[in-house]
Amino acid sequence: MTVPSTPRSATPVARDPRATGVRRHRREDRAWRIGGRLATILPIVGFAFVMIVLAVKAWPAFRVSGLGFITHSAWQPGNTYGGTQRVHGVLIPQGATYGAWPMLLGTLQTSAIALLVALPISIGTAFALTERLPKWLSAPLGFFVEILAGVPSVIIGLWGVLVLGPFLSRDVYPIVANHLPNVPVLRYFRGSVGYGEGLLTSGLVLGLMIVPVIASTTRDLFLQVPPLPKEGALALGMTDAEVARRVTIPWVRSGIIGATVLGLGRALGETIAVAMVSGSVLGTVAPNVYGTMTTIAATIVTQLDSAATDGTGFAVATLAEAGLVLAIISVVVNLLARTIVRRAGRMAAPVGRA
Amino acid sequence: MDEVTRQKATPNEVDRALAHLDPDAGRPSNVVDVRSLSLQFGAKTVISDVTIPFERGTITALIGPTGSGKSTFLRTLNRMNDRVVGFRHEGEVLLDNESIWSSSQDLLSLRRRVGMLFQRPNPFPMSIKDNVVAGVKAHGIAKGRELDVVAETRLREVGLWNAVKDRLNDSPYRLSGGQQQLLCLARALAVGPEVLLLDEPTSALDPLSTEAVENLLRTLVPALTLIVVTHNLGQARRVSDRTMFFYEGRLVEHGPTPALFESPRDPDTARYVNGLMG
Repeated sequence: MTVPSTPRSATPVARDPRATGVRRHRREDRAWRIGGRLATILPIVGFAFVMIVLAVKAWPAFRVSGLGFITHSAWQPGNTYGGTQRVHGVLIPQGATYGAWPMLLGTLQTSAIALLVALPISIGTAFALTERLPKWLSAPLGFFVEILAGVPSVIIGLWGVLVLGPFLSRDVYPIVANHLPNVPVLRYFRGSVGYGEGLLTSGLVLGLMIVPVIASTTRDLFLQVPPLPKEGALALGMTDAEVARRVTIPWVRSGIIGATVLGLGRALGETIAVAMVSGSVLGTVAPNVYGTMTTIAATIVTQLDSAATDGTGFAVATLAEAGLVLAIISVVVNLLARTIVRRAGRMAAPVGRA
Repeated sequence: MDEVTRQKATPNEVDRALAHLDPDAGRPSNVVDVRSLSLQFGAKTVISDVTIPFERGTITALIGPTGSGKSTFLRTLNRMNDRVVGFRHEGEVLLDNESIWSSSQDLLSLRRRVGMLFQRPNPFPMSIKDNVVAGVKAHGIAKGRELDVVAETRLREVGLWNAVKDRLNDSPYRLSGGQQQLLCLARALAVGPEVLLLDEPTSALDPLSTEAVENLLRTLVPALTLIVVTHNLGQARRVSDRTMFFYEGRLVEHGPTPALFESPRDPDTARYVNGLMG
C-alpha cells in the first residue's frame, strides 16, 4: 500500500509534525478495517455457533427419533427412575418416545393467527397515526404504541391468563362457537370453548404483542412516502382508501413485509406468554381453535426442569432438537420473506424519490 | 355497388352539422368561471378577489413571481386545498355553471373532470400499464381487456407507446424524467377530463422533454381546456392562448398572450415579462 509521501527535511532530527498525524490516521484506519471485518463476520459466527451447539446437543435425539420426530405426536419421557434401553446406540429411558408434531403445528398456528390479527390492525394503526389524526393526538398515541412494544411478555401473559382468556371464553367464544355453520374452516370455530387457555387465545395474545412491532415500523415507513404521488392519486379522483391501497402501502410494501417478518419472528419464538395462555398440553393437537395446546418455545421452557431429571440426557437432547426445528423454521420464514420482498421491490420506488 | 351521388354541402350546412356533433354544444362557453375568489390560509390572504372566466378549449398560462398565489389558485380549481389546515375561500368557482363546492358536487367526479399534472413526475408504485389505467380502474370506467386498449390509446396519444410497449409491466421509475411526466399525462388523460390543470409541468424536465410536452399540450385543445402555471415565460408565450399575471395575490392583468407580452398595460406586468422582476 502506498502512503501519501510526507516531505521530510534533510536533517532527521527535525520531524515533520504532519508525519505523526499520518501515522495516527494509519493506525485509526487499521483499527477501523479490522473492527469492520470483525463486525461483518460476528453475526455469521454467532449464528453458526448456535446452530452447531444445538445440532451437537440434539444429535442423540435425532439418532433415536429420526425424521419421525416432526411427524409423531406422542410425548412420553418414559420411566426415568427405571431401567434404560439402547436404541440406535443411544441410551434412553425405558419407554421414552418423543414426537414434536403437535407443538410444531401449534407454533405455526399461533403465529399464523397472530399475523392475521396483527397485520391489518398494525397497518390501520399506522395509517391513522400518520394520515388521519391531528398531530397533538398522533404524537402521544405513537409514543404509547412504542411503549406497548416494550411491555415484558410475562406481563402480557399474565394479563392474558387472568383477564383476556376468561373474558373471551365467557363472553365471546360461546357466541362465535354457537353461531358459525358446520362447514370447512369455520368448523374449527365450533365445539367446546374451554376456559380461555388455548390456541386462539395464544394467537390473539401473540397478535397483541406484535402489533406494536409492526405498527411502529409501518408508521415510520408511511412518514417516508413523499406527498406528490399521494396528491397525484387524490387529483385523479381516488378516495383516501384507494390512495392508501394503491399508492401509500405499495410504496413501502417491502418495508412492511420486513416489519411483518420481525413480528413473525417474535411470535414464533415467544415463550413465556404462550406458556401461560396455551394450556401447555403436550402430545395432542387442538381439536378446535379453543383447544389447549403448546408451542415449541413454550415446551422448551416448561419441560426443561423435568428433562434435567432424565439421567440419560435423552430428554434434554430432545428439547435441543425441538429448538433446532424452531431455529430452522425461523430461517425458512426469513428466506421466504426475502423472496417476497425481492418480488415486491420490483415496482417499488427508489428511496427518496418523489 | 351503388353509385353515390355526392353533393357539395354549403358552408352553413357544414357548420350546423359540426355544431350538432360537438359534445360541448349547449354548454356554457366558459368551462371554468371564477367569481370574486379570495383564498386564505389562516390569517394570510393568498388570493384576493379574482374574477376570471376560462374559455372552453383554450390554454391559459398563469404567470407571476414565486409566492404570487398562482399555484394556490390552480390547486383550488380541483379542490386540492380543501384539506389544508386553515384554508378558507370566499367567492365562487363554477364548473359548467355549477359551483365546485356545491353540495351536489361529488368531489371524486369533480377531480375526474378536472385533472392535474404536477411539478415533478409522480408515477405510482405499479407497472407502467397500471399507472395509465389507475384512474380508469378507480372510477370503474373500463375493466378487463378494455384496460389494455385504454392504456395503448393513451400512451399513443402522448407519444410514449413505442418507447414502452415492450415493457408495459415494468416499473415506471426506470423511465426518464420526461417519459415519466408523459406517463403521468397519459394517466390524467385516461379518465377523460374536461379541464387539465398543470402546475409547472416541465420545471423538472430537460429542454427536449419540455418541448415534447409543450407540443403535446397544443394537440389537446380544443378537446380539453388547459390551465398552466409556469415560471417559464417562453413556455407561456409558446403554448398559451391567454395569459394571466399574478402578483402578490392579485390578478394584475390578463389578456391574449401576444398582447400581454408585447404591450402590457400594468407596469408590474411589464417589469415581469421583461425579466426585470422574478
